[in-house]
Amino acid sequence: MSLSLSTTSSSSPLLLRRTAAITDDEFREFRDFIYTKCGIWVDEKRKYLFENRFGKRLGELGLKTFSDYLRLLRHDPGREKELQQVFELVTTNETSLYRDLKQLDGFKAHILQPLLAEQRKSARPELNIWSAGCSSGEEPYTLAIMLHEELGPDIKRWNIRITGCDLSPAVVAKAKAGVYADYAFKTTPEIIKKKYFTPVPGGLKVAPHVAALTSFMTLNLNDTLAIKRIPKSHVVFCRNVIIYFDDAMKKKVVGSFYENLAPGGFLVLGHSETLHKISSAFRPKFISGAVAYQRI
Amino acid sequence: MPRIPIDAVTPGMIVAADVNTPDGRLVLPAGQTVGARHLDIFRRLGVVEADVADGPAQPEPDAAAVTAQLSEAAAYTRDFFAFLDPDHPLILALFRHVAEAVALDMARGVTLPSLSERRAVNVEHLADVMPMEIAAPARLVAHETELASFPDIYFRLKEEMESPKSSMTRITALISRDVSLSAKLLRLANSPLYSFTGPVDTIERAVALIGMDQISTLALGVTAINYFKGIPPELVDMKSFWRHAVSCGLFAKLLATAAGINTVERFFVEGLLHDAGRLILYKKMPYASTDALLYARENRTPVVEAERVTFGYVHTDVSKSLLSHWRFPSGISDGINHHHDPAEAADPVQAAIIHMADLMANAMEIATGNLYVLPPFDPAAWESLGIGLDRLPDILASFGEQAAKTVNAFV
Repeated sequence: MSLSLSTTSSSSPLLLRRTAAITDDEFREFRDFIYTKCGIWVDEKRKYLFENRFGKRLGELGLKTFSDYLRLLRHDPGREKELQQVFELVTTNETSLYRDLKQLDGFKAHILQPLLAEQRKSARPELNIWSAGCSSGEEPYTLAIMLHEELGPDIKRWNIRITGCDLSPAVVAKAKAGVYADYAFKTTPEIIKKKYFTPVPGGLKVAPHVAALTSFMTLNLNDTLAIKRIPKSHVVFCRNVIIYFDDAMKKKVVGSFYENLAPGGFLVLGHSETLHKISSAFRPKFISGAVAYQRI
Repeated sequence: MPRIPIDAVTPGMIVAADVNTPDGRLVLPAGQTVGARHLDIFRRLGVVEADVADGPAQPEPDAAAVTAQLSEAAAYTRDFFAFLDPDHPLILALFRHVAEAVALDMARGVTLPSLSERRAVNVEHLADVMPMEIAAPARLVAHETELASFPDIYFRLKEEMESPKSSMTRITALISRDVSLSAKLLRLANSPLYSFTGPVDTIERAVALIGMDQISTLALGVTAINYFKGIPPELVDMKSFWRHAVSCGLFAKLLATAAGINTVERFFVEGLLHDAGRLILYKKMPYASTDALLYARENRTPVVEAERVTFGYVHTDVSKSLLSHWRFPSGISDGINHHHDPAEAADPVQAAIIHMADLMANAMEIATGNLYVLPPFDPAAWESLGIGLDRLPDILASFGEQAAKTVNAFV
C-alpha cells in the first residue's frame, strides 16, 4: 500500500468526532442550566470543547443525545450526584504551589506583615484567610507555609484559619489529601519544598503542622447563603476564578467577598484581573507590581 | 562523537545518541536523521545540544509501520482540534493530513510533547511595564514606539512609492543602500515564493521581475520584522515565531493563488506580520502574557481566546494601534488586523485568506511540537474564498515542498 494522502484518506476515513453531537438548542439549554447552578458562563465559542468533554460522559452513562443528559440532570433521582460530575468537568483544575511569586511577595510585604504586626498587639492574635476557588489546595497550603515562615515557633500563640473552598467535591478531596506531583512545585523554592513536604507514594505530602492551619469544603460561589457560613476574613484570595463568570456573576461574587471581609480587609485577585467595572466598594492598593483591593 | 550546540545542527545530520529534553523526555532516538521540523521541536522543548555523527541512517519506516501508529497519532492530534467543528469537511481533511504526518514521525521514533506536558517557565524576573488597569493597546503601542523607532528605510520607501517621481532606478538605489534588506529580498526572490526560470542575482533584476510596488511591499515586510527586538525568550522562541509567520505567509500566497488572486507579495507580508501585535504584548506585558499562555494550556483554549480573557482584548487590537501608528498601507493592515474576525474587515476575502493561512500553518505545526490548541475557524471565511475542497491536497503538498526553503530564505 503506497502511503499517499488521498489513498489513506479515502480507504480508512479517520474521524475527528468521537462523541454525540450537541445541537445549538441543546448547547444553549445546557449552558443556561450550568449558569443557574453555579454561575459559570460557557461561551458559544467553546461549544465543541464542551461537546467533546461532556460527550465522553454521555458515553459513560450510555446516553445517546444531550437532550437525554439534560433530562437526567433535571429529573433523574440521581441528579444531584451527576451534577457534581458536571461541576468537575466544567471547572479547570490545574494550578501549582507558590503560584505568582511576585504577587505573593508583594502580599507578604504590604499586606501580611502589617496585618501580623497589628494582630500581635492583641492577647489572642488571629488570622482568617479565605481561599475562594482553591482547586486542589495548592493556594491554601502555600499561604499556610508562608505563615509558618513568618511566625516561626510563635505560631502556637495564634488562632489561624485558612479556609479553602471549591465547587468540585473531587477536587476538594484532593486538597484534603495534600499530595502533589513534581509539576506543582515548579515555582516553589527548593528549600520550602524540602522543609514542608515529605515523599509518599504518588508525590510529596504536605506536613501535618501546615495542614493543621487549613480546612476545606465544597462550596458553590453562587450560593450566597452558604458563603455566609465562611468566617469573617482578613484576606480573601480569589485568583483566576472569576474569569469564568459573566459580569453579573462577577458582581455577585465580589459582593459576597465584600460582605465576608472585615472592614479594611483585602481581596487578592489573579495578577491580571481587575475590579474595574465590577465594584467600586474597594480601594486598589499597589503591592510591588501587583494590585490588591482593600474593602472600604 | 561531537556534541554540538543545537544552532549548529543542520537538517540531514544524523544523531549519534538519543536527543532528550532537559526533563529527560526522548525526542529523537539515536540513528535518526534530523529534519528541519526536528530543529523546531528541539528549540521549543529547550534542547541545547546533540551528538551528531556520520554513518548509515535508519531506513524510513514503511507504510505498515505508519498505519500502526495512526490511531495514537490521531488521538494526539485530536486534542489540538478541540475548538473546531469536527464535522466540517475542511477541518476533517486537515485533521487527517496532520494525523498522518504525526503517525509518520511516530513511526520514525520521534516523541512529541503531550498537551498536558506542563512547562512552567519561571518569569518571576520579568515585569509588566504598566498595571493591567491601564494597559490598553494604544498605551502599550505608545510606550513601545516612544522607545524604538521604526527603521528609517521603511518611511523612505513609502515616500518613494507615493512620489510621482518614483522609478525602478530610484527604488533599486534605495533598497541597495541597505545591505541586509537587499540580501533578504534576493533570498526571497530565489525562494519557492516565486518560480523564476533563472537565479535572481541583483536587486535590479528582482525589481524588474517582481515589480516596483510589489518589491516595496516585500521590503516593508522585511523591515518590519527587524523592528521587533528584545522579546523575552522565556515567552517565545523567536525563530519558531518567525517560522510560523513565514509559514502563514506561504499559505497565504498559496491560498490567494488558488482563489485566483495574484498579488502574492501583499499576502505574504500580511501572513508574515499577522501576529506582530503579540510580540508587543510579550515584550511590554510579559507577566500577564504568561498568565494568558498558561490559561490557554490549562483550559485547552486557543491563545487568542486566552488573550481575550486575560487582557480583555487580543493581539490584533494591538496591531491595529501599531500599524496605524506606522501608517502602514491600509490594504495590508486590514488583513492583519482582522485575521481572527475576517467578516469585520474592509476586504473580508483578503482577511479570510490570512484567517485560513493562520489556521493551516498552526495545523502543520502540530507535528513539530506546537503546544496550543488551533485557533477558532470561521466557515464563512473559507466559503468566501471559493476554493474547492479537492484543491486542499495540492495546497498542502505545495506547502510541504516549499516550506523549508522559504523559511530558510528568511529566518
